[in-house]
Amino acid sequence: MKHTTVLIGNFGSGKSELAINMALSSVKSGKKTVVVDIDLINPYFRISERKSLLEENGIKLIYPRYAMTGVEATSIPPEVYSVFIDDHETVIFDAGGDPTGAIALGQYRANFAELSRLDVFYIINGRRPLSSEVDQNIALLDKIQSSARLSITGLVNNTNLAHETGIFDLLFGYDLISHISEQTDIPIAMTMGTAPILDELSKYIENGTLDQRYIGKLYPIKRYMHRDWDTFTHLGI
Amino acid sequence: MAKKLMKGCEAVAEAAIQAGCRYFFGYPITPQNDIPEYMSARLPKVGGCFLQAESEIAAINMVYGASGAGARVMTSSSSPGISLKMEGISYLAGAELPCVIVNMMRGGPGLGSIQASQGDYFQATKGGGHGDYHMIVLAPSSVQEAIDLMQDAFDLADIYRTPVMMLADGIIGQMMEPVEFKETTKKRELPEKTWAATGWKEGCGRDRAVINSLYIENEELQEMNDRLQARYATIQAEETRCELYNTEGAEIILCAYGTIARICKSAIALAAKEGVKVGLVRPITIWPFPTDAMRNAICQDSVTSAITVEVNAGQMFEDVRLAVDGKKKVDFLGRPGSFVPTAEEILDKIKQIRRA
Repeated sequence: MKHTTVLIGNFGSGKSELAINMALSSVKSGKKTVVVDIDLINPYFRISERKSLLEENGIKLIYPRYAMTGVEATSIPPEVYSVFIDDHETVIFDAGGDPTGAIALGQYRANFAELSRLDVFYIINGRRPLSSEVDQNIALLDKIQSSARLSITGLVNNTNLAHETGIFDLLFGYDLISHISEQTDIPIAMTMGTAPILDELSKYIENGTLDQRYIGKLYPIKRYMHRDWDTFTHLGI
Repeated sequence: MAKKLMKGCEAVAEAAIQAGCRYFFGYPITPQNDIPEYMSARLPKVGGCFLQAESEIAAINMVYGASGAGARVMTSSSSPGISLKMEGISYLAGAELPCVIVNMMRGGPGLGSIQASQGDYFQATKGGGHGDYHMIVLAPSSVQEAIDLMQDAFDLADIYRTPVMMLADGIIGQMMEPVEFKETTKKRELPEKTWAATGWKEGCGRDRAVINSLYIENEELQEMNDRLQARYATIQAEETRCELYNTEGAEIILCAYGTIARICKSAIALAAKEGVKVGLVRPITIWPFPTDAMRNAICQDSVTSAITVEVNAGQMFEDVRLAVDGKKKVDFLGRPGSFVPTAEEILDKIKQIRRA
């Protein structure tokens, strides 16, 4: 059965990072997978920049026309409609950041409504600016939700400082996301991070200091999107 | 304070607010849009004012107005937008008004591209606008340094009553790095803004404040220019900054600023592995240009030649050659447009020069 996941959240929250990881693990388990890059507002840092990685792994990528050409006004191809009815088993939508970025999703409201298996995940990186306080996150989440015309089904804790991430960053995110979940009644779907960080988190879980409700599934990721200094010099912006 | 994962644009905006900037006037252009975006969200929360003007020209003249009233004010743009602001910048310099202007450089000339570039070095350091004026120009090479220099930018503007430009490239603007906002430990003594037009009435005990760059009489214009030139001399003597990296006893000296200097450091590490000692002179202020430090590093006996590395057709290259004054050979590596050299390309150039 078709399983569709929509990833929304603030700029730099880790939507594309999660999308790539989900897509790669989906094809590994033998599922026909498509990724839809539906970001119309940011000319940089889109999942389509990893087009060859996705396609080499047998993942289909649909992306806005003129994306990655340096042109700033891109447009969504009609092909996007096909993912609602074709035989792809895993469909991942990677939206643009903030409420403006989520607007592009709104046009598919009727199509999303017909899906029997739909996850809408809201990704939070508590170490990003304007994302470290409960109220800021809830205000933003409400706006993104309404411009996407979708209800968020799960929160994702992706609190990190890129290569400098430590367990205390993820624990900061745990605390933050637990309050957000309490106030919004949205469950926590997953906590993502690199394997070593999640191993450390597991120790906290084992000794009972953390509440499983605020962790969800532990989702180990590899970093494909984030550009540290060295990759920047080779790949540009 | 805990570290944050920030883009250069966001970091610069937050650093400006923490440095006391309460007014931002600007107009959108890639790759610096994250600055106004951030300012629009944050400034109203700290009692400030964000305004998207109808054009870059309007924005820079709003900066003129706010600065004339004594406010800490900034604007930001990217190359073509900075060109539009140039008339206003000349007026700010002429009226001796402090402000901060951020330029996240993109490819040029004309509309160019939205990728990173260093094509605006001449514009930033040699004028750009009309008349005999200079701006202090700060060139950060990391997101953290952009934050750290922002407080300085506002202080320098106030101390010397001059526009200060932060000249970074699109990589700094867009790259996300873990950063820290440190408590400023040594705050500089700032002069009172007795010249600001803050409201005058009969018997208030001071002269009217007049913000102006028009001097019809030759003598008066001369006086203003003399005042500016004297100030520029002080700035050159007091505020020139640069980083010397691995320069002592080096065989080859690289000269670069901004993100390119950081790539040069990677090239220096690669060269060291092959037993070649390469050093770097990185101007932090590109105006005032660190002429003495540059000359001293390059004119050491151990140095055979210097290479200026830039993402342009050779702009700072001219200042390096002037500093060295023919005493050593200065080579150039770079391309106009947006091709950022890799560490490996810089290493290749080093090898090529050694062979020659």
